Amino acid sequence: MAPSRVSSSIVSVHTGQDGNNRHPAFGQTVPESAQFKVEMSSNTTIRLLTVAVMPPTMALISDPKIAFAYLRPACVLLIREATFNNVETLNAQLKEVDDATLQQLQEYILFPLRFVLKVPGPKKDKLVQAVVEAMNHVLGNTCIQSWQILRELFSELFLCLCSPDNPGKPADTSEELKLAVLGGLDALLHAAYGDIVFKFFESKMLPELGAGISLLLTLAEKEKSRHVQVAALKFLQALTVQCDCSEDHVVPSSEEREAVGNAMASFLPGITMAVARIITGDVRQGHRVTIRAIKVWSKTVSLVMEDAQLQSSQQGKLPSADLGKIGQLIVCRTQDWVKNTSEKLCTLLKKIISSTAAHQHWRVRLELLELAEHLLDTCSQSLGKCVGLLLEALVGAINDEEPIVKKRCEVALKKASKKNQMPVNMENSKCTNSSQTFTDILSENLHSLATSLPRLMRTSDDQNKMFVLNVFLGYLKLLGPLVSVVLNSAVHLERISKALMQVLELDVADVRIVEERGHGGSLETSSGSHHSKHIRRKHFLHFTDEKIFFVLTEICRTFGYYGNVFLLTDLFLDLYRQSSAYRKQAAMVLNEIIRGAAGIAVVANGQRSEGKANVVPLSQEDLKAAVMLVMEEYFSSDHWHLVTVNEETHRDRQDRLLLRPPILLSISNAHADPLQFGTFACASSPTSTVHQLNSNIWQLCIQLEGVACFAQALGDNFRPLLMTSLYPVLEKAGEETLLISQAALDSMWDISKACGYFSLKELINENSDYLLNDISLNLQRLSQHPQAPRVLAVMLNHSDCTLLPLVRDIIQDVLMALDLSYDHTASLFCSVLHALMKALVRWFPMTSNTTKDSMRFKQTSTDKEVFDVRQFLLDYRRQKELAEGIGIEEDDIDELEIPPQAVFEEDDDASGPDVKAELPTHLSITKDVMERCIHLLSDSNLCLRLKVLDVLELCVSVLSEKEDELLPMTHRCWPALVQRLTADDPLAVLRAFRVLCTLSRTCGDFLRRRVSKEILPKLSSSLVHQAPISTKAGPVYTHTLAYKLQLAVLEGLGSLCQSLDLAEADLDVVCEACLPYLSCKQPIRLQQACLSVFHHLIQVDPDSFWLTLNELYCPSSFIPPHPDLQPMRLSGMGRPRDEYSDNVLTLLREEFGQSGDE
Amino acid sequence: MSRPTPSPIYTLRGASGPFNTLHFSCHGGDTPLLFSGSGKGAIHMWNLNTRRADRIIEGHSGSSVIWVSALPSTDTLISQGRDMRVCLWDLSKGSNELMDSLTTGSVGFCQCSLLETGQRTCLLAFGGQQTEELKIVELPSKTLVCSLVPDSKLGLVMCVKLWQPQSGRGPLLLAGYEDGSLLLWDITQRSILSQAKVHPDPVMCLTFDTEILRGISASSDNILSSWILDGQNNLQEAGYTLSWLPANRRSLNGFVFHGLEEGMKSYGNKHSKCSQNCNRMKNVVTGPKLCDSHQPRHFPDEY
Repeated sequence: MAPSRVSSSIVSVHTGQDGNNRHPAFGQTVPESAQFKVEMSSNTTIRLLTVAVMPPTMALISDPKIAFAYLRPACVLLIREATFNNVETLNAQLKEVDDATLQQLQEYILFPLRFVLKVPGPKKDKLVQAVVEAMNHVLGNTCIQSWQILRELFSELFLCLCSPDNPGKPADTSEELKLAVLGGLDALLHAAYGDIVFKFFESKMLPELGAGISLLLTLAEKEKSRHVQVAALKFLQALTVQCDCSEDHVVPSSEEREAVGNAMASFLPGITMAVARIITGDVRQGHRVTIRAIKVWSKTVSLVMEDAQLQSSQQGKLPSADLGKIGQLIVCRTQDWVKNTSEKLCTLLKKIISSTAAHQHWRVRLELLELAEHLLDTCSQSLGKCVGLLLEALVGAINDEEPIVKKRCEVALKKASKKNQMPVNMENSKCTNSSQTFTDILSENLHSLATSLPRLMRTSDDQNKMFVLNVFLGYLKLLGPLVSVVLNSAVHLERISKALMQVLELDVADVRIVEERGHGGSLETSSGSHHSKHIRRKHFLHFTDEKIFFVLTEICRTFGYYGNVFLLTDLFLDLYRQSSAYRKQAAMVLNEIIRGAAGIAVVANGQRSEGKANVVPLSQEDLKAAVMLVMEEYFSSDHWHLVTVNEETHRDRQDRLLLRPPILLSISNAHADPLQFGTFACASSPTSTVHQLNSNIWQLCIQLEGVACFAQALGDNFRPLLMTSLYPVLEKAGEETLLISQAALDSMWDISKACGYFSLKELINENSDYLLNDISLNLQRLSQHPQAPRVLAVMLNHSDCTLLPLVRDIIQDVLMALDLSYDHTASLFCSVLHALMKALVRWFPMTSNTTKDSMRFKQTSTDKEVFDVRQFLLDYRRQKELAEGIGIEEDDIDELEIPPQAVFEEDDDASGPDVKAELPTHLSITKDVMERCIHLLSDSNLCLRLKVLDVLELCVSVLSEKEDELLPMTHRCWPALVQRLTADDPLAVLRAFRVLCTLSRTCGDFLRRRVSKEILPKLSSSLVHQAPISTKAGPVYTHTLAYKLQLAVLEGLGSLCQSLDLAEADLDVVCEACLPYLSCKQPIRLQQACLSVFHHLIQVDPDSFWLTLNELYCPSSFIPPHPDLQPMRLSGMGRPRDEYSDNVLTLLREEFGQSGDE
Repeated sequence: MSRPTPSPIYTLRGASGPFNTLHFSCHGGDTPLLFSGSGKGAIHMWNLNTRRADRIIEGHSGSSVIWVSALPSTDTLISQGRDMRVCLWDLSKGSNELMDSLTTGSVGFCQCSLLETGQRTCLLAFGGQQTEELKIVELPSKTLVCSLVPDSKLGLVMCVKLWQPQSGRGPLLLAGYEDGSLLLWDITQRSILSQAKVHPDPVMCLTFDTEILRGISASSDNILSSWILDGQNNLQEAGYTLSWLPANRRSLNGFVFHGLEEGMKSYGNKHSKCSQNCNRMKNVVTGPKLCDSHQPRHFPDEY
């Protein structure tokens, strides 16, 4: 088959006529009668001899004479003595001869090798293998021009393969040998000249060929070694003149091809069945075998069933009679035969496709793809019955996960559809018909698949589902615009939608979904534009593989892309409305349909450009109309305001309680529709199970995703729709269920991206007018829209101070609503106020506060400097004199006390409009809010009080910017705050302390006296009172309210004293009250809290507390630096360790670096 | 109180001042527009599709805009301000150039009245410099057609309405005066056709349906009065008198005819915000004919 390999002009060897006998050249003696035609001059002979004894050189021997002389001894030796070593010697020598020379000596060299094989009797595997390998080498580098030799070698080599007893069975030889023989056969076929190789396929060769083929099939099927299997299959392929290796091959003419086809037709059943068995065999056999087998199957079938061959006129020619028995073997490819065969092939094909279409190895899938394409290409008419199957195989690969397969499939499909779409170009009218049927087959397949889809989705396993869906998708893509024709059939549409509804059913059993809570209102704004999407994996009832979901979504998108959007949205909206069982699925499908209709994430198939031309292009207006239709349904109260909370949280319960009739709420006069109230109450019935709640949650998530999808689909055109859609999304962003708020946040990000906003902030700021309109409207109908405050909170959370002017009158509305009904709306609005104040704190960061802190810090740091004792004493004396003699200090105090009062009164007088107008907006809002806090501070509801305290703290922070405003407000809220500090739940005490600390930081002087007068005595007395009780208490005590109160007070007291910079007397009181808690008998947390108090106290007045502590327990003795000075006596000195020692020591060590040095 | 106030469809926000006047422009296939004149001298052009102000024209050097109207045929906006000027604005091609302006000389707050007489021409009636004086000019030439001064002392012109009767005679003019009387002028004759004293107090505003020849006027004593014009062009009180609640002393609530069959409905609501106008606007838009004849005339509103 490689005639060019060696120049064929040199015909060097005369073959002996008696091929079976000894070669004349290998006589016992040196061949004087050597019949070389090549003329040898005497001097070359001499040189030849010298070369022969020379060791092999690097250069290949190119002179035939020299080569002959070189190889002859080895050949002769081999004939005499057939040993492995001799073969190896010859083999080694052969490698030093160049190809042209080898060609000349081909027959001479092959003779001893063949001789060895032909010697009767058992031979060692090793020897045979070596011989075959040597032959391989020769054949691989030379050509065979003689049919005789070809045929002989063919049968000789085959004899090596089959067992000596039963020629039909493979020999029980080693794997290597088999490989070598198969390699030899391969080389033989490749070496054969083009004109002689086709002699194999003459009728009289059929028996021999058949034997060989059946042996090869047996090998391929039964052999354990993969390599042998592959080699056998490969040779089988080569035997049909369709080798695909990289070497040059004979290209058969059409007549020759027909001849081969005729011959192989006889073996077609055998080959196809056996190979099909191999393909569908054990999955563990390795993909190489499967691939090769598929290739053989495809090549063989296409060879025999080729349309071009079958149409040619020579068919039906009767076999010549002189063949005798052989005549029975000949198959005549008549019409009937073709029909029957194609039916049988169809069965085999079905098996092959079903076992390989979802094969794990992509190369196998690729090969199947090639098979389908190849057969569709060459024999689509003769295999009429199989076209559907082949298309299915082709189409099934459209969504393959392996990009190579996918790409290949797209090319193939493009080719197929081109053949489909351009029947006009084909001259043959029969071809036109066939392509017509091609389309028919496609839609027929689609129809039948649609019919069986629900059943398949119900019964098959994941892998099979995947394949079925892939096929389905492939049909859709292949049919392109024609899909809408299928969709127009109501029956099929119903089937398809049923199947989708069925397979997309979500698994909602997971309890965690309901339980995951976020703090909806406190969703902090993510500063940058980067936003990591939360991943919510949907769990489906009927499949687990995520890929199936992706295919399903793509199917929906393709529907949307090619189908009539209005028809589809109508259908699925109907399903959506029909039953809650379908609602989630229908919403998912709708989302994808809209996306698909906009051309998003629809894989551009080859025919997209051509195909789309046939469909009326969907205008943006139509798409918008469809989107609006769907969104309206999504946002309708029944489908949007779903119950997602089972155990109503405290807040929710309150919200709901306060919204119960007959209390009608609104900013103005509310007229709650009693009917609507009824539904609201119904919806919140506590009978909802976890499943239902989960289902609701998922439905909301899907709908939120839907809004994002719609935004993507419409792009900039979605902006006008923000008017109606942004508010509901924000409403869900404030939801407490984590899943929903995350979904809403994601949706917001998608929307802002789709509409061209850079961040959520921009999205909200740009559209604040739309939002505020709804908020203000809904605030007036609070009973029906209890979420309005939440939306405002979310808005504030994600925005900045540019919002303030617009928000202002909404805030006024909120405050007015609060004023109208404190009892009922308070807790609802409190969260809004909290969000508002938090936003204000963020938007207007305090400046004054930090400077004050740093000043204080400086003071303490200078205190620590090494000080002049003399100066200190002088100062001390002056102070003492002042204290005793002149009463300046007292005057000072009086003076100090009057101004705040004055300021307050002045402000009260001047609270006219002009003063207020001068206030910046944020401050005036804060003031208004703080005003409300005063009233709410004494609300009976603890939760509310806590929240109000938080709000109050924020108010103080904001207002600290302007002390003139802060002080009067502080004065007003003081009485209520005192109550919280002294006679409230420990939780409230703790928070009240925080407020007090914030207050004291900003207006410490103003508060100092009040605290020492009104708060300290009560607190300290309660501490003193409780101390002995807690000392004796058991472990249960830590769960009591008294304990919590103690803890709260102790935890707050230190920082309070420090920030208020309390006077000595007060500090003494505090110290007195706290000392008992230094005892190690106290509960450990109380001790720690007490230590923190002392840490703070020491910051304020290190000296006096050093003394106090040392008087309690003094670990070290102090020796005066000068003997004149009296020795220091501290009452704690020399005391035995007691309950206080540990904590005192800790304090002394940590604060003064003093440690026991006895 | 029979029924609760319906919720507004939308509240237009962001104009930093009270509105004095509104004008809908819903002609043609373009976006429906609403023009508003604010007390701070700004004219907002609201796009009713996006519900946002497309353009803001600052035209009367900060003084209150008391009347706006649009000439759809020429894409022109006319505005009247307390700076005694009437300005014409070219709205075409997205620009808002001042095309022309004329000085009325009137210090009162009588709103102009516009009547289109031809493809490009129209008549504009407004209060003049003298107390009872009424002036009518032709636009765009600004030529003074006539100046109408009644013989008797009636006080300031408070409101005017110019229209073309179907009978084919020249344009007629209704004018309300400070003393509560209503005068019907024939412009071509420059004569008073009819006179009626419908209110004891100044007529603050009036509206008149040119098809059923029925009108309503409101006075500062919180009384609405209805009257008709008979075939002889005589003004007759129709007998309706309603008391109504003004939002404040100077505030006149707008009212709209809802067609002949429905009779007359007036909206007097303290909380009537601009949004409710939008609500009514729906009615206007759905019936393009209503749009012309039954425009909400006057919606002073505190924003």
